[in-house]
Amino acid sequence: MLDTFEILTTSGVVLWSRTYVPIGPNIINSLIRDVFIEERIQPQSEDTGQKPTYRKEGYTLKWTTAKDLGLIFVVALISAQAVYQSLVHLTWIDKLLDNVRALFTGLYGEQLKTERTSGVDCEKFGPYFDRQIQELEQASNGPTSGPANIKLTPPSSSGNDSADDGALKPPVSQKTQKSLYGPDTSADSTPVPTPDTSRPTTPAQSHLVTGKSRPGGKLSRRDRKKAAAVNSAPASSGDEATVRRKGKGSAKKNRVWGEFGAEEDDPSMVLDYSQTDIKDDASEAEALEEIKPETWGRKTGKGQFVLKDLDEEMDSIIAEQNAKKESFADSTGIVGSSLGAIGGLFRNVVGGKTLTKEDLAKPLKGMEDHLLKKNVAREAAVRLCESVERDLVGLKTGSFTTIESTIRASMEKALTKILTPTSSLDLLREIQTTNNASRPYVLSIVGVNGVGKSTNLSKIAFFLLQNHHRVLIAAADTFRSGAVEQLRVHVRNLKELSKREGGEVDIFEKGYGKDAANIAADAVAYAQKNNYNVVLIDTAGRRHNDQRLMSSLEKFAKLAKPDKILMVGEALVGSDSVAQARNFNASFGPGRGLDGFVISKCDTVGDMVGTLVSMVHATGIPVVFLGMGQHYADLRGLNVGSVCRLLMS
Amino acid sequence: MTWYDKDSWLTQAFAPNLSTIAFTLVLVIVLPILLHQFVYKRQTPTTLPTFLLIGPSGAGKTTLLTLTERNTVAQTHTSTAPLTIQALLPEGFIPSSSHYRSPGDPAYERSRRFLLHDTPGHGKLRHFAASQLMKPTNVRGIIFVVDASSVAEEAGLNEAAEYLHDVLLALQKRYTGAKTSRGPKEIPVLIAANKLALFTALPPHLVKIALEKAISEVRKSKAKGLKDSGVGMRGDDDGLEEEREWLGEGGEGSFEFGQMEEVGTSVTVKGGNVLGGDGSDVKSWWEWVAEQL
Repeated sequence: MLDTFEILTTSGVVLWSRTYVPIGPNIINSLIRDVFIEERIQPQSEDTGQKPTYRKEGYTLKWTTAKDLGLIFVVALISAQAVYQSLVHLTWIDKLLDNVRALFTGLYGEQLKTERTSGVDCEKFGPYFDRQIQELEQASNGPTSGPANIKLTPPSSSGNDSADDGALKPPVSQKTQKSLYGPDTSADSTPVPTPDTSRPTTPAQSHLVTGKSRPGGKLSRRDRKKAAAVNSAPASSGDEATVRRKGKGSAKKNRVWGEFGAEEDDPSMVLDYSQTDIKDDASEAEALEEIKPETWGRKTGKGQFVLKDLDEEMDSIIAEQNAKKESFADSTGIVGSSLGAIGGLFRNVVGGKTLTKEDLAKPLKGMEDHLLKKNVAREAAVRLCESVERDLVGLKTGSFTTIESTIRASMEKALTKILTPTSSLDLLREIQTTNNASRPYVLSIVGVNGVGKSTNLSKIAFFLLQNHHRVLIAAADTFRSGAVEQLRVHVRNLKELSKREGGEVDIFEKGYGKDAANIAADAVAYAQKNNYNVVLIDTAGRRHNDQRLMSSLEKFAKLAKPDKILMVGEALVGSDSVAQARNFNASFGPGRGLDGFVISKCDTVGDMVGTLVSMVHATGIPVVFLGMGQHYADLRGLNVGSVCRLLMS
Repeated sequence: MTWYDKDSWLTQAFAPNLSTIAFTLVLVIVLPILLHQFVYKRQTPTTLPTFLLIGPSGAGKTTLLTLTERNTVAQTHTSTAPLTIQALLPEGFIPSSSHYRSPGDPAYERSRRFLLHDTPGHGKLRHFAASQLMKPTNVRGIIFVVDASSVAEEAGLNEAAEYLHDVLLALQKRYTGAKTSRGPKEIPVLIAANKLALFTALPPHLVKIALEKAISEVRKSKAKGLKDSGVGMRGDDDGLEEEREWLGEGGEGSFEFGQMEEVGTSVTVKGGNVLGGDGSDVKSWWEWVAEQL
């Protein structure tokens, strides 16, 4: 069900929110992180007519954005109970998002454009929103209630559903009424408080009824007074009548016993008082009557008026916004279009042109081709272009900048964003932290056959040895002949090289044919016993689309528990890089994925380093190392800026 | 036709002709206006003193910004775009530049005004802050907001320290890379230890010690780390190797914030909390801002 609706800016300030059930701020924060910043979840294209959804901790979030104003509209719903239920409601949630966006941008667009403020005064948005919800709920209740009931096969769940519906609706409708009538009128409608609650309510109510039922309600004052007197007498209970009778009696007594003293006065005063009380009551009732019809009339009249006004205003705003969008899409007339074309050409040179999808289509195609030439996989190139398009549509080009240069700048930004790691990738610090917990740091390397797993492993070993670590290399490639011998040679070389430096390196091997996962686990245990700082595990190469080989990786991850799993990918590979990265990332079972990429053979491709982008695009996992040559020292960290320059050159 | 002829242009220019008078009149009226436009158009973008809000994600930068602007705290989420607001120094804090001005002075009011520039703290979006640090326009100070309770943990401390290291290194590079001997204008840094109201928060002086220690670690592992790919991949177009710079005193020994004084950056650590059970307590930060104004 609808839990929270929030309108926030891209700078993170919540402008307006309506909460039915409070949800933690972390839900929306993770939506922003995963979707808007890291783009881990691909938003579905808008062509399908559905707003994109995002699921987190039992909540379903739907959102839409107003790019030019930097607004995000988010709806959070609980989707834990059943799938069909969320589907039923999602039909009108999309419409709600669209309408609210149109309304909000229509009402507060100007305010939002003022610079150097963070806030918008949108206190009055509540009624608009409530009215929208009411309307959409009404509109959707007719058609959807039927199918919903048909769909439900077990009767118990249907009861549950209806109960749920009932549970939600009352608070909404109550709220709307209150806010629509405004605080002043709602205060009027409450019954006038009287000193004694039990007695005066009855006459007051009876008066109310008469007042309402009276056709004109325009009697003279005296008339009304009379009516009030008449009305109040029979309406009052017998208890009252006895009191009055007693009062009369005591009044007589009072006259008789007047000479005795003041003490006798007291009861009479009390009784007198009771009579005045009744009179007061009557006058009060009269006052009530006097006011009530007017307030009723005013209230209903005003209420209707407000209602109508709000609806009309709302509809007109939405229509206006939609019309604006449409007119933006198609230019009008032949003269207008030709003038527009000339103006567009001029603006293209001078700048200050508002970009549309059509303007961007051709240069973006060129940009896509350029990226494809740089060995970026088509999927990644298309995504980058889409994100650039999303970024630029509706934007004005700066003065004296062409569309091409604007696209270039935006593409560079997108590349930087995609390649920049979310968290730090400092291997040495991680090793230190792990060793402080008195256990060895376990790093394993996976990849397709022949990409350079062992070579890059030995490069990493060299780097660690230079930093005076004790390294154990585990030969868990028990399949390919010569793999263990190859590592042995590497270890021998590294021993020679690190003799002066002070590092120490050994190999852990169990020959061929054994289970790789067990060997890895044994190696970790051995390292723990013998105080090694780091365990590097080499694995057999495997084809990423071979289920049989890939399935053994899950067991490997479970037994060896590597702190870091790096995948080696060649810079030479083309579009296959995306599938490689995805399959390897998914092969370690739930809750475990790759931690980074090593891109090897970067020196062989020149400026065609698109593989980096493809792999990061496929998984959202950062590139940790680049292999840049044949020597042990030819391992580099990633410099995002220089890679971007290479790709854009 | 020479210049002293009767109908030469010079004679015409001094003759009491209607056209000459009209032309002179127009010139007399229009020229000052144009001059005024020209002179003041170039000077109008007098930017107010700016303070940058930098810090890791979730430290409370945007919340502090809303507190500054509205005096109340608004609900916020993770930022994805920078935001600049114009703010007024709260009552009771006197900008150091107008210490001797009377409160009625219009210049006093003007000096209380400043801009606050919020940057997203997410790892992928730090280029906004970096570009501001590269070309600071009238930046009077940097407010580095850290979550004092997350600094108590290893992961939070490392993230904050790495970010702070990069910020300080950028400031140092700006100082050492200056062309003039005088050096650029000093940009002081305030480390605002936020969320002190939380039970797990470290007190400011411990935040300082923890950050100093963590930055020395960052510096050490950076020194040992691999070379950037930028050097080799650029090919042979420029052979000069970029010289790496180390933060503070050549990168030896342990790092202290005091070392940054040498490169024109004073670092102060002050605590406070934007949100909290009994209201917000950001007085010490305002005092710092007032000192810089």
